[in-house]
Amino acid sequence: MAAIFTVDPHTGVPIYLQLIEQVKRSVALGVLAPGERLPTVKQLATQLTINPNTVARAYRELERDGVIETSVGRGSFVSSNNAVDMSAQALSSVAGSAFDAAVREAKSMGLRRDHVHELFDQALMHWYPTDEAKEQAQ
Amino acid sequence: MTASAEHAGTIDIRSLTKRYGTVLAVDDVSFNVPEGSIFGLLGTNGAGKTTTFKCMLGLARPNSGTVTFGGRTLEPAMFEHIAYVPERSALYEWMSGNQHLEFYRRSYKHYDAERARKLTDLFHLDLRKRVKALSKGQQTALAVILAFSIHPKILVLDEPTSGLDPVHQRHVLDLMISESSAGTTILFSSHQIGQVERAAERIAILHNSKLVMQGDVEQLRSDEKIIEATFDSETPSLNGIESDPRVRLVTRNGRLVRAFVRNDTEGLMKLFADKQPRSLRVLDQNLEDIFLSAVGDDINAAKSWGG
Repeated sequence: MAAIFTVDPHTGVPIYLQLIEQVKRSVALGVLAPGERLPTVKQLATQLTINPNTVARAYRELERDGVIETSVGRGSFVSSNNAVDMSAQALSSVAGSAFDAAVREAKSMGLRRDHVHELFDQALMHWYPTDEAKEQAQ
Repeated sequence: MTASAEHAGTIDIRSLTKRYGTVLAVDDVSFNVPEGSIFGLLGTNGAGKTTTFKCMLGLARPNSGTVTFGGRTLEPAMFEHIAYVPERSALYEWMSGNQHLEFYRRSYKHYDAERARKLTDLFHLDLRKRVKALSKGQQTALAVILAFSIHPKILVLDEPTSGLDPVHQRHVLDLMISESSAGTTILFSSHQIGQVERAAERIAILHNSKLVMQGDVEQLRSDEKIIEATFDSETPSLNGIESDPRVRLVTRNGRLVRAFVRNDTEGLMKLFADKQPRSLRVLDQNLEDIFLSAVGDDINAAKSWGG
């Protein structure tokens, strides 16, 4: 299995959290299909050159969240039941904390509430253009 | 009976102290390395890392404190299962790589010739050369090959990548990682923090012979944050925050205040918010930041000297 995950050990974000997010993202986007086998802890640790217990920790949490299932001797698989739903929910919470961080940052720079609102509308219009806006652009 | 056989790889260091004359090289250092884990020992030069290793392996006699492996103090029979790569080469200059391997074959019951051959290929080492004809990096590679060739239960590596190119450095890390998956306990020191934050599960930081911080690397990354606040006045009053046990260090630069905090960042953010700062934010810290703040006094002194 090709290395579909990457981690950056040199950030302040714990590696196991980086892995969890990437697995969930891959499942939500269909890069990993339900029932698909994940690399073993040892394989992934060696592939990414990270501590095996870090990988084991990520797998444990993913299991607890119902995204993957592990059976002794057979390895870990993307859960067939509700992995996609769980992962989609997780992505929404990742997006949520990104919004939260952005708003907090704006506040820390002393921006007023209506100004932040304006910025948000601009970004929304840029990435989610309405049909009207699309026509106008043409 | 002390420890059960399945924890034979646990290393426990308690209140280790070592003096050389009037110099205190290791001052009351304690840490525990669980079996099968990778533990990184960090510290500036002269912090006491090498002396700690020497005391562990019976190469220096501690003034006080204990070192146990699986609950037992070091005894000759254990050397069969312990491999040590010292910071300064302990190889015989007049002997070739082949002669070193032969020496190991005769000395160690678990010596694995096939493994030694594979590792030699991995590091592109010419075993016919005498050690004195090898570069610093090649000597490191030979020491690493020897250490891994005996399938040790415990590996102690003092700067195991010094002189190696980045590709070979990565090989050493990969070896450590796969060896620990197989149950080997690994204690290593490195100045390359990038290696430590990849490979190590737990770390200890030595500074001026004392242990100044230890913990789980992922936990440290989660817990250790910087709260940065800017105030309207030059001398904001923080009454009490500086002595809060959750705050490790506060630096002030005019209106800018940075607090190095551990745990409960949210709670401390509220305390800061009460002081009506102009801006307030949380910064993540990587292991290098954490290390530098743990040995912070010297860094700040150097900066003030540098102007």
